[in-house]
Amino acid sequence: MKKILLSFLLSVPVFGFAQSFQVNLQGQKQTAMGGAGTGLALDEAAIFFNPGAVSFLQQNGVQAGISPLYLKTAFRQTGSNLTEYNKDKIATPIMGYAVFGSPANRLRFGVGIYTPFGGAMHWKEDWTGKYTVTSLDLQAIYIQPTLSLKITDHIGIGGGLVYSLGKVDLRQALPINQSNGQPGTAQLKGDTKDFGWNAGIYVKTEVGITIGVTHRSQVTANVKDGDAIFAGPNSLQPTLPTKFTAALPLPATSSIGFGFYPSEKLTMALDVNWVHWNTYKVLAFDYNNNTTIQDTESPRNYHDAAALRLGFQHQTTAKLALRAGIGYAFTPVDDGYVTAEVPDADRLLLSAGIGYHGTKGFGMDLSFLYEDVMSRKQTNFESGLSGEYKTKAYIPGISLSYKF
Amino acid sequence: MKSNYIVKSILAIAVVSVASCKPELSEVTPSKGNADFSRYVALGNSLTSGFADGGLYLEGQKNSFPEIIAGQMKAVGGGSFTSPLFSEAQFNGSGYLRFAGFKADGTPNIERVTTQTAVRGQVNIPPVGNVILYTKYTGDINNYGVPGIKLDNADLAPYGNFNGYFERLLPGNAGTNNTSYIDFVMQKDFTFFSMWLGGNDILGYASSGGAGDVPTLKTTFSTKYASVLARLTSKGAKGVVATIPDITITPYFRTVTLASLLAAVRATPAGANVNTLYLRTGAGVARAATAEDLFTLTLSSDGVFGVNDPLKGPYGLSPANPIENKYALDKDEVAVVIDFTNSYNATIKAAANTSNLAIVDAGALLKEYGAGTKVNGVGVSAEFIRGNLFSLDGIHLTPLGYAIVANEFIKAINSKYSSSIPTVDASKYRGTLYP
Repeated sequence: MKKILLSFLLSVPVFGFAQSFQVNLQGQKQTAMGGAGTGLALDEAAIFFNPGAVSFLQQNGVQAGISPLYLKTAFRQTGSNLTEYNKDKIATPIMGYAVFGSPANRLRFGVGIYTPFGGAMHWKEDWTGKYTVTSLDLQAIYIQPTLSLKITDHIGIGGGLVYSLGKVDLRQALPINQSNGQPGTAQLKGDTKDFGWNAGIYVKTEVGITIGVTHRSQVTANVKDGDAIFAGPNSLQPTLPTKFTAALPLPATSSIGFGFYPSEKLTMALDVNWVHWNTYKVLAFDYNNNTTIQDTESPRNYHDAAALRLGFQHQTTAKLALRAGIGYAFTPVDDGYVTAEVPDADRLLLSAGIGYHGTKGFGMDLSFLYEDVMSRKQTNFESGLSGEYKTKAYIPGISLSYKF
Repeated sequence: MKSNYIVKSILAIAVVSVASCKPELSEVTPSKGNADFSRYVALGNSLTSGFADGGLYLEGQKNSFPEIIAGQMKAVGGGSFTSPLFSEAQFNGSGYLRFAGFKADGTPNIERVTTQTAVRGQVNIPPVGNVILYTKYTGDINNYGVPGIKLDNADLAPYGNFNGYFERLLPGNAGTNNTSYIDFVMQKDFTFFSMWLGGNDILGYASSGGAGDVPTLKTTFSTKYASVLARLTSKGAKGVVATIPDITITPYFRTVTLASLLAAVRATPAGANVNTLYLRTGAGVARAATAEDLFTLTLSSDGVFGVNDPLKGPYGLSPANPIENKYALDKDEVAVVIDFTNSYNATIKAAANTSNLAIVDAGALLKEYGAGTKVNGVGVSAEFIRGNLFSLDGIHLTPLGYAIVANEFIKAINSKYSSSIPTVDASKYRGTLYP
């Protein structure tokens, strides 16, 4: 097992996948429960899922985890009999949380590191859509110091400042043929550093149901002076851009979640997420030299989209917990705007997992998430690329934790 | 131990799932429908032969639209397909135009490639004059595209003496040939044909500014189109025909414009105040040029514009030294070209319907793409060089343009014969080559 994990770690250390380029792999327990957890005070990952619930955690603890993500997309151009697949690429969104402060006190502290947005889509260099994208690597790692206050024994509030570290690397073939007949290439890469916030309320009702409401703000990832690496015909090379500016909104998410406890051993979680994708109107690139390459403004026109998540945890023994979940995420992408770098569609999520917690505070949680993205026939308004996409994702995950 | 077992099971399932469960798309089984593609032949002119960049050369021949279609027909029982290729040693064929770089003023420098051609000589054949001859081709032929041929020439017995590209395919030497184009094609049976003839019946008139040729009479066109189709279908072959492009939308007529000529004049110190250019119409009248008059690409490449004549004034700027008729398709001539094109196309559609053949509206297709669109992310338009659709001669297509045409033929065939020949990724074929 160690060997497998190691080989995953050696591959590209980024990215994920859940709804467009949003990633929902922030805690192994929650991932195993269909991604639900806003209305629970389950573990340290509450720093992400609901900062208000952190003050209700019974113990302090630290945890670190990883979810190696394997996604396979099939594409077939309209009218063609050939199916093309993206390259095998394992992305590895990471997560780590620590909660401090005396559990007896009303005020608790925490810090979280997680990967809420990302994407790793690599196509073959000569595939049908090469002039739209050959690869996209995108990741935003959020670092979130958090305060959580138990106002009464029934209500907790919490919030954290988000510092986002982003990276983007987009490549495509350049539709300008060199004298040998080969197309040129274009690569855009840059880093971003931006701020946002995450806040939540957690309510433990008299009737034994817990409720959480959270909002994670939008972070606008601004790439300033990113590197535009164009390789074109010699006669045009001096006129090609070398720098670019772009802004990508990482949208806000509002969530409401409920926790039910039908028996001492069984916990149920139900979440509804509302992702404010409507701010993603255009993807614009502003180049420093427009002699040959014009600035681009690609319409995206995403709309807000919901995700529904239902999860179960069965504390089978004092040490062993079994988990399962199901979810459904609606696509924010309208027909005509689907692109090959994020071939999005409605998706069904199925998950399962297991947790083992020893007596000395050490624990391990494993999850497995399967995402079935519905097939979608699309003709992109902008590129004219027309075909059918079908994606499946397989995401095992592991985290190690220590409670104190 | 139990949990250990569960952990191992989950991991094993994960590994197996990842390895085996590729996403699947619904099954596609290419089918020939109710056509038979076992021997496909292509009849046509330069557009069928793969002519591009002002010449017929090996790369163009290999990327001709019939070659592309035939490659795709293999998925539905298509047989072998042979184009009369130039040899590797003579791969430049007739010679062709090459984009060699930019001139000091930023305009493209276009040169003619004249090495390693297949030219074997030339002969004077009255009444057509000098005919350039090419190295003979012997062997199987499926692509019968002959640059320059008109529909009007298809049943002309001595035509093999007048056209070096046709002479090249025939066994006899120029001067001795007596086999018409349609007879030559009919010598060997075929099951399916494409025919894209008719463009040259108006092109010679248009490209010479109305000066060098006369359009084929509409009635002649109609009669000959029907009789050629009757021959082609006489043994039960099915097929596809295409309408002809409107030549006035091509870069050949849309690159050099009144506005661009005036801008060039005004950029010179002496020409700053020039507002009027003069041309000689087809009717022989010298008059001020208007935005409705079209100019040929050759007006620019021949380097005549603005050249001063001490007696008559600068070329094009003086009523005494107007732009010659051969460089200008005046608005009356434009109307003639459009009228004949529409008439020929109406004939083609009617004849195809009568013979129950598939039709490609290539005229409409090139208008649509010429207006500007994207093909799998590649911008195409009728713009010269940057448009990627038309080659450096401004009339014939790039490999990308021919691939777009090939897909349209495939779609028309599929729709008519209930077949499902797969289309190609047109963006795999190149547009303009930049130095």
